[in-house]
Amino acid sequence: MSRIINTLLIGISGGSIYSLMSLALVLVWRSTRVVNFAQAGQAILSTYIGYVVVTHTDNYWLAFPVALLSGALIGALVDIFLIRILARRANSGPVAAIAPVIATLGLLGLIRAIVGMIWGGDLRRFKLPVTNHGFTFGHTTIPFAPINLLIVVTTVIVMLIFSVIFQRTNLGLALRASAFSPEIARLAGVRVDLTRTIGWAFAGAAGAIAGVLVTPTNYLSPNSLDLLLVSGFVAAVIGGLESLIGAALGGLVLGISLAFVLEYISSSLAFPVAFVVLMAVLLIKPAGLFGGKRVRSA
Amino acid sequence: MLKRKPTTQVQIDMDKNIARRKIIGAAFFIFLGIALYVASNIVDELRVYQGATVAVYVVAISSIILLTGYSGQISLGHGALMAVGAYAAVLSRNYWNFPIPLTFAVAVLAAALFGALLGMAAGRLSGPYLAGTTLALAVGLPSLANQFKILGGEEGLTYDVGFPPLALGQDFTQYKWFFWIAALAALAATWVIFNVLGSRYGRQWRALRSNPTAAALLGVHVARSKVLAFTISSGVAGLAGALMSMTISLVTPSAFPLSLSFAIVTGAVLAGVTLLTGSIVGAVVLVAIPEVTAALATHLGGSEKVTSNLPGLMMSALLILSVLFFPNGPQLHRRKTRKS
Amino acid sequence: MFALRRTKRGVLASATLAVSALAISAIPAQAFSVHAETGVTATQIKLGITIPLTGSAAPGYSKIPSAMQAYFNYVNDNGGVYGRKISLVVKDDAYLPTLAVAKTNELILKDKVFAVVGALGTANNKAVAKSVNLGRRGIPDLFVNTGYSGFADAKKYPTTFSLFPSYIMEAKIMGQYIKENFAGKKLGLIYQDDDFGTDALVGFKQAGVKFDVSVPYASGSQSAQSAQGWIGKLKAAGAEVVVMFGVTTASGAALATAAAMAYKAQWILGSVGGDATTLKAVGVPAYVLTGAMGASFLPAPTDTTDEYVKFFQGINTKYNGDAVFDNNVLVAMNTAMMAVQALRAGGKNLTHASVMSGLENSGSSFASASLSPINYASGVHVGYSGYWFGTYNSAGELKPNGGAYSVYTTDSGAGAIVKSTFKRPALPANGLPTN
Repeated sequence: MSRIINTLLIGISGGSIYSLMSLALVLVWRSTRVVNFAQAGQAILSTYIGYVVVTHTDNYWLAFPVALLSGALIGALVDIFLIRILARRANSGPVAAIAPVIATLGLLGLIRAIVGMIWGGDLRRFKLPVTNHGFTFGHTTIPFAPINLLIVVTTVIVMLIFSVIFQRTNLGLALRASAFSPEIARLAGVRVDLTRTIGWAFAGAAGAIAGVLVTPTNYLSPNSLDLLLVSGFVAAVIGGLESLIGAALGGLVLGISLAFVLEYISSSLAFPVAFVVLMAVLLIKPAGLFGGKRVRSA
Repeated sequence: MLKRKPTTQVQIDMDKNIARRKIIGAAFFIFLGIALYVASNIVDELRVYQGATVAVYVVAISSIILLTGYSGQISLGHGALMAVGAYAAVLSRNYWNFPIPLTFAVAVLAAALFGALLGMAAGRLSGPYLAGTTLALAVGLPSLANQFKILGGEEGLTYDVGFPPLALGQDFTQYKWFFWIAALAALAATWVIFNVLGSRYGRQWRALRSNPTAAALLGVHVARSKVLAFTISSGVAGLAGALMSMTISLVTPSAFPLSLSFAIVTGAVLAGVTLLTGSIVGAVVLVAIPEVTAALATHLGGSEKVTSNLPGLMMSALLILSVLFFPNGPQLHRRKTRKS
Repeated sequence: MFALRRTKRGVLASATLAVSALAISAIPAQAFSVHAETGVTATQIKLGITIPLTGSAAPGYSKIPSAMQAYFNYVNDNGGVYGRKISLVVKDDAYLPTLAVAKTNELILKDKVFAVVGALGTANNKAVAKSVNLGRRGIPDLFVNTGYSGFADAKKYPTTFSLFPSYIMEAKIMGQYIKENFAGKKLGLIYQDDDFGTDALVGFKQAGVKFDVSVPYASGSQSAQSAQGWIGKLKAAGAEVVVMFGVTTASGAALATAAAMAYKAQWILGSVGGDATTLKAVGVPAYVLTGAMGASFLPAPTDTTDEYVKFFQGINTKYNGDAVFDNNVLVAMNTAMMAVQALRAGGKNLTHASVMSGLENSGSSFASASLSPINYASGVHVGYSGYWFGTYNSAGELKPNGGAYSVYTTDSGAGAIVKSTFKRPALPANGLPTN
């Protein structure tokens, strides 16, 4: 019994990180219909900026907002200087589907190279905000520590904030309208370009949060968030790409499945799991857990 | 915004041109073969080796052009299909001692079979769902080689196509032999794809890509047509995988990283994703640019941090610029200008 | 469609770009040399290396080329090798066999290096040896950076010389040590599930060690999150002694997570993942490492009482920009020192053949930092064969058990494990080989 609970806890703490990255990808997908592979790059750059702050001030809680804001700024810049131009130039034909993939992959490479030039390839340590020592009950220490709690709580808060923005504010309405039908939104007086840039900024912030939360438990290098991008994308697809709750649940489904496969089947199967889980979900629900019918034919 | 706008006009090809084009096409292939033969005798050995790599990429990029440019499906996991082909080829070589051409056929069949299964499962998916599934495949499949002893693990299996026949002369190098095999295979594969694209299926794919609803109304079986495209594309990717393993004489999971899948999609975009002949351009660029950027980085100098990252920086910048400035590939560009 | 005549601006532009690019890069880097052997002139010897400088495998290894060049520069400043200065051409292979082959071809066919030194990775070296066919070309492939036992086959890899002891040897020696010191304890093992870890399994089997619980992990999947699973399994099985046969990021994750989950065991780290400096960099607190055991064939890079380490630290300060002196820097400088001796052994009239016969004939007496004997002989291309055991102290330094280095040697087969009587040659005066 404790084995199942422990595995579940491992899955939840791993999955919540996927959820955050997945959330970032969904925010971009909703606003511009782009799968943003550069998200890992934007997040790593924001995390390095946070790293600079934390090494100079030794204060994680100062680094956190700085990284978050840089993430938002980087996201906005990417939209303004790359995605807008791309959307004007590659908007039809088969390439319209893969041009954003290539452009954002290019951007990922570009950011990684810049990060490598500034900070080098060495592994770096990012200060933990709270301890990673598991909660202890009597003589048992569970695989869930204050840092994991922080990650889960932050994920939930970020989710709630975005849900409120999307459901309860004019900005949210504009965001949804611009994503659903840019032409009609524009006619209705929504500043579509600006709205989309805000979507990118939100995504950048979410990615940065994922970066500064996961990095202290591991280490920092120009490539250290690459796998998170893949997991985040798979989680987003599992969740159906459209919904914030889908993104969060997708991350948890992936994290928990991974934990159970590694525990009960074989601990060396880390990489095939994502494919199998994704296949299983999509065979039952081709548009993901929370995807609408509309998405599939889009 | 980046959503595909369905064109109202379904392209139905002009049959009378087909025969004439086939003759021109055949003549072109023969000319190309002769040109490659002559080239392999005058350039130095490094260029011959790189020529073999170009040929491998031509095949790999063609598989993406067929899939994405014609049938409108996306794959970020063709590196995994290349791995399937490569492992099939090396196993048939090492265990049954198949002759080389037959190992390539095995590679094509194995990858096509795998692709058919995947295509059937993924046939219902489109856009980002397919991209996600194939991406997960690219990450997951190669690592399985460590789970089965027969696949040789990380240290890999040696793929030996043998020395060039003595009849070709003493100074006929190994790399020239690789180049001949790869170039011949590339020509053959391109020829087959060219004909498939000109066939009924090719027209169906294009109709499907332009407007799935209209195509379905015209009697195109959408799902079956997509699976067929995925199957053929996978078979071609399998051939590319076997050829690639030949050039490095080894089949190992680390030869099929995610970056390989990305590289061939990149090559396809650089080629203009709807233009089969563009595959050569895409392949040459993929092989040439890393060498040029590395040479340039060494030339520019600077601290080690800078020089080691400069090639990546230039490659990425080039990629972004080319997508921004030639996003649709030359052909669509033309069609658009003609319309306006 | 297949549109031959419709080739438009776009294709032409990219084609022109590609062709001119090829033309630029075709300009040979090196004009012609007066000496008969490729890569050697009256004033210069050109060596090459392929190693990951970028990508996820780069951390740590990317420090190696500059550290090698640092030692070469020191030798160059002191007269070089028979008046010839050594230069090292470095190529980034991103740890991919395809790139390793492509870059080695550039090294040999374009840069025209005399020999390849210190190329990294099992699959990469295997692919290069076969495809580039260094053996047929007669080009020395010196001191490959891998513990793959297959390169011992001098018939299959006639020009390849490996330096490091194989993973099988390491596991055999470690196994013996465990049997002698931890008999009756519950044993656990974490290993990387590829050739690196499975070679270790072969070695442990040879030594007759059976683990009560073993946890494989896929290379690249290690993280604090996956390590929670590993530790859970070890904990559940009650393992008291745990062997860690993985890369540094994996042993780092395992140790840090063990501490976080309040799991106490006697840890034994393999040499690949046991570099204390890197472990600290990836966040393993010193108190976690304290008391863990490790194996190595080199002295600990923190051991300033060792004359080689002390000398290399001096070179690191003067010639290598005072980089963090870890195991990678030590390995690199030691490899460079071996290379200088190999070149010297090749004589004034330096040829591929003379270097390789020099290594076979006198390589076993070369000065090197390793506490293991060097086994080069006619037809034997395996360098080191021994390990010593130590315990990490509270400062994170690996100190030999019992105070003095005691080395055990073996082979990759069924050979016995014996206590070595080898006495390491003293550091040559000023660290400049005189062989």
